[in-house]
Amino acid sequence: MKTVVEAKQIKKVYGSKGNVFSALEDIDLTVMEGEFVGIMGPSGAGKTTLLNILATIDEPTSGDIVIDGINVTKMTEEQLSAFRRDKLGFLFQDYHLLDTLTVEENVILPLALAKMNVKELERRVDEVADTFGIRDILKKYPYQISGGQKQRTAASRAIISNPSLILADEPTGALDSKSATDLLECLKDLNEHDKATILMVTHDAYAASYCNRVLFIKDGNIFTELVKGERSRKAFFNKVLDVLSALGGGAHDVI
Amino acid sequence: MTLFSLAKKNIKGNFNHYFVYFVTLVFSMVIYYTFAALQHSENIQESIELSDTMRFMFGVSSVILILFVAVFVLYSNSFFTRKRKKEVGLYAILGLRKKTIAKMLFYENLMMGIIALVIGIILGTLLSKLFAMILVKLMGSTTEVDFGISAMAIIQTVIVFMVIILFTSVQGYRLIYRFKLIELFHAEKKGEPIPKVSPISAVIGVVLLVGSYWLILRPLPDDWTTEYLLRNDGVAFLALVIGTHLFFRSVTVYLLKLSQRNKSRYYRGTKLIETSQLLYRIRGNARTFTVIALLSAATISFFGATYGGYYSNEKSAKEVVPFSYSFLSKGPEFDSQVENIIEADDQHPIQAQLEIPVIQIEGTLSFQLDYDINPVKLISASTFNQAAKALNRDETVSLTGDEAAVIQPRFTEYTEATFKGESVTLQLDRGSRQLRLDHMVEGNVLPFDYPDFYVVVSHDVFAEIARQEAPLTYNVYEVENETTAQATSEKVNKLVGNDFQVSSSFYTEYKKGKEGNALTLFIYGFLGLVFLAATGSIIYFKQLTEANEATGHYEILRKIGVSKRDIRRSVKKQSLFVFGLPLTVGILHSCVILYFISNFISDLIGVNLMVPILTAIAVFIIIYTVYYAWTVNTYNRIVNR
Ligand SMILES: Nc1ncnc2c1ncn2[C@@H]1O[C@H](COP(=O)(O)OP(=O)(O)O)[C@@H](O)[C@H]1O
Ligand SMILES: [Mg+2]
Repeated sequence: MKTVVEAKQIKKVYGSKGNVFSALEDIDLTVMEGEFVGIMGPSGAGKTTLLNILATIDEPTSGDIVIDGINVTKMTEEQLSAFRRDKLGFLFQDYHLLDTLTVEENVILPLALAKMNVKELERRVDEVADTFGIRDILKKYPYQISGGQKQRTAASRAIISNPSLILADEPTGALDSKSATDLLECLKDLNEHDKATILMVTHDAYAASYCNRVLFIKDGNIFTELVKGERSRKAFFNKVLDVLSALGGGAHDVI
Repeated sequence: MTLFSLAKKNIKGNFNHYFVYFVTLVFSMVIYYTFAALQHSENIQESIELSDTMRFMFGVSSVILILFVAVFVLYSNSFFTRKRKKEVGLYAILGLRKKTIAKMLFYENLMMGIIALVIGIILGTLLSKLFAMILVKLMGSTTEVDFGISAMAIIQTVIVFMVIILFTSVQGYRLIYRFKLIELFHAEKKGEPIPKVSPISAVIGVVLLVGSYWLILRPLPDDWTTEYLLRNDGVAFLALVIGTHLFFRSVTVYLLKLSQRNKSRYYRGTKLIETSQLLYRIRGNARTFTVIALLSAATISFFGATYGGYYSNEKSAKEVVPFSYSFLSKGPEFDSQVENIIEADDQHPIQAQLEIPVIQIEGTLSFQLDYDINPVKLISASTFNQAAKALNRDETVSLTGDEAAVIQPRFTEYTEATFKGESVTLQLDRGSRQLRLDHMVEGNVLPFDYPDFYVVVSHDVFAEIARQEAPLTYNVYEVENETTAQATSEKVNKLVGNDFQVSSSFYTEYKKGKEGNALTLFIYGFLGLVFLAATGSIIYFKQLTEANEATGHYEILRKIGVSKRDIRRSVKKQSLFVFGLPLTVGILHSCVILYFISNFISDLIGVNLMVPILTAIAVFIIIYTVYYAWTVNTYNRIVNR
């Protein structure tokens, strides 16, 4: 099986001399193709920092990152932009939709930027519209739809270019439990049927229970790792809760 | 922290926003100072012949300038204040009282105004000398400009601008009181709906624009009256204003929406983002665009027309006063006195001199002509041809028997067809005499005198009539370098007096025209520059506000894989649209208006307006390009951090 992400000795230090803060100490991380990996940890642990670094939105202070066989730490801004467009898909807690575009246009955006031909592009929209159930709202603007619909729109945008890796930062953070479950089911489907590789940051044990594997971060270090294996989701959920309480400070984050 | 130091910090922090406003304000102060200084300068007044007119014109244009600057400052300030609603809200949450916040904004505005005023006056005293020199050069004077610091101008500038600054500062103060705290946090509305466009209003907009162009461009009927003109062009003006507004409000929205239909173009690269951004913003900019387009149309037209007048002054002076000197003979003694003066001028040797006998006589036309013809003035064909030759003109006449040729009366558009087949009947002592008006020639040989109805008749007919009606004789002289014959012209004028409605010497007419045109050109030029700078600066604010609201938007784009270079390119395209659209509409309008003006103002008939129009347009484009570059840079710095 192919390795999608290989990160070695990632360090991230914020601030300048005299007032430095180490957000990531020394992180090693490998994600294989078709995995659905969760990253958990208390608030301020460095989850978002790690995800942004893997997403090439932020730069590590030191360390190497290879995604899909390409070392991204050596690339120029221009190359990185093209790389993000073609290889990565994103989901953010606050959706990150453009309010001047319709749902359909938001979803299409990555393909339009890649200058794909219109026929192919419309075929893809058709496909993902069903995957995430947004067909009825394609012509609407973000301000006209609910949070769940917004996140499903964002998810459609994230997968439309068939990215090698989907990165999600607290995608269920702003959703009610019904919308959250819908979204997680969709992501699971995507992972199981289309072999999509997903890396999801969350501090919600319920969301984490949808993953195959969960990494726990504390104070910038990997604390432990939990593999779902043959366990049921319910059992995995309890396991996650156990680790969280061992981690301390994270338990109150659970719903 | 005191309020003053907080205000000072704020100005520094918002420097990017204030900078262009500041520069524009200083610039208008410099121009105002210059106008005031010229109005009060004894030195300049003495060196030109139109000093009263000049004083008056500078007075009027200063008032226009001030009104405009006041509107500009007021607008910019309400803009700043609104932009900072959020900041104000934050202060309010932190427990600052409204009164304190208002005071702080008041100080900020006041401080900036005073700094601008100081710089404006310093630059004004330095630059006004240069500007005065430009004016004197334009007027064709050779006098040295001795143009010192004008205390009067300084005082006037300080008073006027202090009033404006204080007034706007108070406005800013009051604006804060009108804010409700809850509104302050919703200053930047999220998720405003995309404008809906009714095709009807787009159609009405196009119809109004086309209609107003048609009304302006259609030729005047032969029997037009002032009332007709007021009605026709009043309606045209109204249609143009409303049409322009609808154009920006609906037609552009409609066109942008139409461009979205072509999916293979629309879904390609960043086009999607740009189009939707423009669509989203255009409604809010429609009014500004309208004002800018109309203002630039007016500025370009006036500037173009004046420049055209300036450009063609020599030609039109030559039409009004064809010979260097012309005067009515008053006996040999008087005539030789004048001739001696002219001959004494070595710098301007005589090239040709001749006598032009003219018979003045009552006459009636065989048809109705909307022009007062009496007394009809008769010139012999042979004299006319001699004069034409002396003036290096090609047009000569050859007439036999009762044939006659009308010299096209100045300020009319009659053609040969007007007179063809018609006749004029002259009342002689011994009965009447009918002449056939077979021809028309352009270009009189004597200075303009109303009624300007000259008829060239054959040598024989002239001799025949002259036996009954004694002709008057005019002596005319053509000299070399007539455009510089100042001293001699003054002497001749003094001696000759008022033989014509215009001056007897070409130089005087030429110089008067040149000074008048130079003056208007100078005033329109600088007023135009201030208008331009102000409108450019307003677009700049609008774009920056937009940039600040769109930072999130561009951050998202960067995250999903749009490179900084592409964002920069996209910013460029949008700014180009925002600057280019009103400018293009303004230029189109001004071409139409100029076409009308050049047909209507007789001084400009036949003048080639190409050079002046192109100059005016080029200046516009250059200045807007500077503001455009400024905008793109700052915009880019905001969204592409
Ligand atoms: N731009 C920044 N500058 C300085 N410190 C930062 C910055 N971004 C994050 N941090 C700090 O790094 C730590 C990790 O942040 P983050 O990755 O956002 O945590 P979380 O796990 O909650 O997502 C936090 O203590 C945060 O304060
Ligand atoms: Mg986070």
